Amino acid sequence: MSSPGAGSTAAVAIDGGDLPLGGGLLALVRPALDLLEPAGVLAILTSARSVDEDLLAWCRLERHEYLGSEILPDNRTRHLVARGRLSGVSGERERAINLPRREGRLLTADLLAAVPMPEHADPSSGFAPRGAQVEPGGPQYPFSLNERDRVAPPEVAQLYDQAIAAQWDASRDIPWDKVRPLAPALERALGQIMTFLAENELSALYVPSRFLPRIHPAYVEVAQFLATQLNDEARHIDVFLKRARAGGGGVGVSSATTSHSLLSLLELEDFTEAAFLLSVLGEGTFLDLLKYIEHYAPDEATAELTRRARLDEARHVHFGMAHVRHALAHDDDLYGRLEAAVRRRAATLHNVGGVPAHLQDSLTILAARDANPTAVRRGHEAFRELLESMHEQRVKRLLNAGFTTEQAQTISDLHTPNFM
Amino acid sequence: MTDQTIFLGAVAYDPKVVTIWEGMREHFREQGVPMDFALFSNYERQVETLLKGHIDVAWDTPLAHVRVKHRTGGKSLSLGMRDSDCGFRSKVVVRRDAGIQALSDLQGKTLAIGSRDSTQARILPLYYLNQEGIDLARVKLLPFDTDLGKHGDTGTSELDVLAALNDGRAHAGTVGDLVWVTEQSAGRVDSNKIEVLWTTPGFDHCMFDALPTLPKEKFEAFRRALFAMRWDNPRHRRLMELEGLREWVQPREEGYQSLVAALTAAAEL
Repeated sequence: MSSPGAGSTAAVAIDGGDLPLGGGLLALVRPALDLLEPAGVLAILTSARSVDEDLLAWCRLERHEYLGSEILPDNRTRHLVARGRLSGVSGERERAINLPRREGRLLTADLLAAVPMPEHADPSSGFAPRGAQVEPGGPQYPFSLNERDRVAPPEVAQLYDQAIAAQWDASRDIPWDKVRPLAPALERALGQIMTFLAENELSALYVPSRFLPRIHPAYVEVAQFLATQLNDEARHIDVFLKRARAGGGGVGVSSATTSHSLLSLLELEDFTEAAFLLSVLGEGTFLDLLKYIEHYAPDEATAELTRRARLDEARHVHFGMAHVRHALAHDDDLYGRLEAAVRRRAATLHNVGGVPAHLQDSLTILAARDANPTAVRRGHEAFRELLESMHEQRVKRLLNAGFTTEQAQTISDLHTPNFM
Repeated sequence: MTDQTIFLGAVAYDPKVVTIWEGMREHFREQGVPMDFALFSNYERQVETLLKGHIDVAWDTPLAHVRVKHRTGGKSLSLGMRDSDCGFRSKVVVRRDAGIQALSDLQGKTLAIGSRDSTQARILPLYYLNQEGIDLARVKLLPFDTDLGKHGDTGTSELDVLAALNDGRAHAGTVGDLVWVTEQSAGRVDSNKIEVLWTTPGFDHCMFDALPTLPKEKFEAFRRALFAMRWDNPRHRRLMELEGLREWVQPREEGYQSLVAALTAAAEL
């Protein structure tokens, strides 16, 4: 077999030995053609006679152009195939990626720097990893967060690296053998506080998970960070419920106030509003609450678990702040929308009352450590100071996120009495 | 429904045919060409329905196409075909342990063949073997007459042929080249056991047929909508993948001469 094209030169040549087309040769031919531009020519050297029969049909199937063949002096055949214009994927294959090692570690932040996020992402690229050559013709995916500035603050990969390095084990890393029997009133108060914490952390597990499948995979670091956040919350739920029961007591009351408040978080449909209400305001307020519980903790185990939870929550607050700050810088209308979201939520929660009574009493008893009136007065003072410091810290965080003093005051005042 | 609606017939050889023609109907609508379709269970009924003028266009196999051409005295209109319909070939594949080095070695051996209405798996490979001087009376034929009426569209009889070779019921077999390379590409052929022996000359496959009385406006509108499909358009691409093409191409008649000759010789036109 021979044809006019057979004598022309090829950009790439492969040696197929005696491999039949369906016996392994395609594993050499297909990747070689993928590296060529359309019309680029591949030479295939073969001693398998069946390839002479099969290659033309395969080219027809795959819309490559079979240019012809020639017999070489050593009796092998040299076939020439031009890559078809309707074959294979378009775009450049990723190359020359240089990832630094930092004390043996390969950081996600460096990966992100090497392969930056696009400003806009195409929902038809599906679950293709960022940088992959995407074959056209794939279906549209239901991703709705397809714009970098609405999803991904620049520091997300650093936060992910930190989150991964800071994971801990609620079974092993808490000095559970330091839990000692407490006075019944204090034990019940602690059980109530842990119930409240676990309930709120359940919402912090569920709320971000609703947004995860909406994030375009081009911004995978955001999804990865949220995955660490979900894992943190799962661990917090675990550790709080363990503490509620480790002293022999148990869980307490779930109040209607808390339930209303958390439902209004779960019903949010906007990712940035959710990040703001949950992470900046809710988890931000929780930092003060956890600090309070750690400070007045009746035993080392309680202090350690609230300390660890607080460090995790601080990371979530950091991400929420970064997200909101970045989004505010790219969207002039966002201030108004966030304030409106806070007002809507406050209106929904109108009439639900103040801090849930069971929680308030328990936080008072925790700080009092004792049921005598003098101690309880001290506990009550501590609780009042907690509310004040929560408000002050919220205002600080809001200022830091870019709100004016007046906006920060208003938003903080409107924040749910449930803390989260 | 207005008179301008192009009424098309296709054979439902697979459930995907519904997906294809619903998608095509939508594409034609977007092109401003009203089109509707009817599905037939076999090509014989579709050909008769076209000849009676009850449908405007029939999406025909080569066997149906040459029959329409013949029955209209060569006057039927050909509207378009797939890129994959051009230059079809059939293969004679053999078991490596059957001792078949040349076509002449087929004599006395068992040759698995596809359905009697499959152009690529039976009609043309047997015609071309005869042309090569092989006395088919001295070959033991093992026919697989599956999905009759579908003219080989399902490919089932070709897979039956390959299975017969694989498990040793036949020494050799005839299949179309697309099934042969598709099965090889997917790694489903044991190349230690089965290899290709011979390839037939080329021939063409499916065609959109119409009667010569098809109004010019419908003829032109159909072709305008058809040739507006593009492989790099994701919505078109899905339909084109299902239908097995990357481009619609202009019709040509010379690719059916061997089939006409084969059917004439067998008095089956």
